[in-house]
Amino acid sequence: MDKNSLQKSLIIRYIILALGVLFMIIPMIYMITSSLRPNSMTFSYPPQIFPKLSQLTLENYRYVLLRQNFFQYMSNTLIVAALSVLFSALAASMLGYCISRFKFWGRDFLYTVIITIMLIPGLAMLVPEFELAVTLKLVNNLWGVILFYTAWSIPFSTFLIKGYIDGIPKELDEATYMDGGTVFTIFFRIIIPMASPSIAAVSIFNFLFPFEELGWSQTILKIDSMRTLPVAITQFFQAHNRTDWGYVFAMTCLSMVPVVIIYLFLQRYFISGLSSGAIKG
Amino acid sequence: MDNNLKNNWRIGVLLLPGLVILGVFTFYPIIKMIVMSFFDWKIGYKQTSSFVGLRNYIDVFSDPIAKTALVNTLYYAVITVPGQIVLGLFVAVLINGIKKFSVTFRLFYYLPVITSWVVVALLFRYIFSNQGLLNYMLTDILKCTDEPIGWLSHRWTALTATTILGIWKGIGWNMVVFLAALQAVPIEYYDAASMDGCGAVKQFFYITLPNIKGSILFALVMLFIGAFNTYTPIMVITGGNPAHQTEVVLTWMYYQTFSAVGKMGYASALSVIVAIIVAIISVVLFKFIKPDNEI
Repeated sequence: MDKNSLQKSLIIRYIILALGVLFMIIPMIYMITSSLRPNSMTFSYPPQIFPKLSQLTLENYRYVLLRQNFFQYMSNTLIVAALSVLFSALAASMLGYCISRFKFWGRDFLYTVIITIMLIPGLAMLVPEFELAVTLKLVNNLWGVILFYTAWSIPFSTFLIKGYIDGIPKELDEATYMDGGTVFTIFFRIIIPMASPSIAAVSIFNFLFPFEELGWSQTILKIDSMRTLPVAITQFFQAHNRTDWGYVFAMTCLSMVPVVIIYLFLQRYFISGLSSGAIKG
Repeated sequence: MDNNLKNNWRIGVLLLPGLVILGVFTFYPIIKMIVMSFFDWKIGYKQTSSFVGLRNYIDVFSDPIAKTALVNTLYYAVITVPGQIVLGLFVAVLINGIKKFSVTFRLFYYLPVITSWVVVALLFRYIFSNQGLLNYMLTDILKCTDEPIGWLSHRWTALTATTILGIWKGIGWNMVVFLAALQAVPIEYYDAASMDGCGAVKQFFYITLPNIKGSILFALVMLFIGAFNTYTPIMVITGGNPAHQTEVVLTWMYYQTFSAVGKMGYASALSVIVAIIVAIISVVLFKFIKPDNEI
């Protein structure tokens, strides 16, 4: 191709990509501007993506922050996210290490089971899980969400971390044994640091999960003070006759703040984690 | 190996936490679910559950709404899975060919992926509402129709709204998966093809596609599982209405579990059936696309 047509095709690429970006972010912008308009205006016709500056108000945010238990919901979600991420990362990297390195009885069977479980949606086991939660007194208890989220995330996390550990050379293990180290030394001194990109990647995904899971959390978190954000937002929406969109969108925008911050700071892990899973298949 | 023997108990210690959590909160519920699906299961104090054999399964298969829910789920899968893959791959190919702003583009396309399902479902409910942004565009700006379309009050239009949401939210994820795969294709292949006079389209079909097969398979399996996992968007956008016409399998199972009747056995049977369908689809996909072990 000559230089001219190469340049042309490059320009076309940028134009298509830019149009695509519009399609991706117009709904988001619409949400943000709707959250900044008085409630009476959210159903005004014709709808406006960009409202006039004079109409903008922070009233919705004030209402959500001061009159609702928003900070409670946020801290519940953060607690659930932090603990389930921690437990899942620990358990999955230990499982992944053992499955990758040692030939113990039932190993292949265990790995097959873990892979198979990835196929079953966590919520599909709703009935027995709910009964279990009742028996273990986990209803209206954040632990009920933390433990189940951990269990649901372990299979995929183990799968990704195990794949990553497979690629770490075994010579390092041997050297540590020579120096009198144990399996524990290898795990904490070699495997964890070297597998940290994969552990970080799955941890970010697991961290986002409590910000979006609705089915299970709404089943067992029935008291207002225990609710995580997805449950709180849904309840709030229904309690306001499904019309006070200004309040609803103020709440959804606020709920996204930690997610967006994490995304902007840890961007490269989002990419690296996904790609290692994709290429290994 | 000597070392391994000495370390046996330590390996056990490392395995234990994961096995306990999986055992209690995953393995046990799965087995319990299979058992429950053969009972008229009652929850609560002093309730007895009676064995009913295959009754729950027969009930599922003869239930018109279960069939509706399954068809709806398949519709959602059949539209969103190829839709996301094609558009995600398209965006990935475009971004792969540019240098400036490629990170910025990635950032924007990925934004819907990290946004919570509850949030985007509410947003789409608002956009698709009778007086919403979409109807405004269609009636007043593009003049496609005179009357606003009641997107969310009919089965297929409501489902279509949900599939648009599913595709919109999933493009970024696919883009990232395929970008990684595209970057792993050796550039010499393209150079050689250019020398032989292959155009961009031919190169895409003869070089790019075969080389990213593994990633396409990965995306297919993950997205199919995801499609059967759909709960939140339907719950938030339609709640299964009108008259259960837009239920998907998980929302219908949820309804059966916690409605006044509380048909736990029925819900368990439905779950077992869904799990089997998902397993079959995954196995078929693996067998179908992976004959030459190119992953």
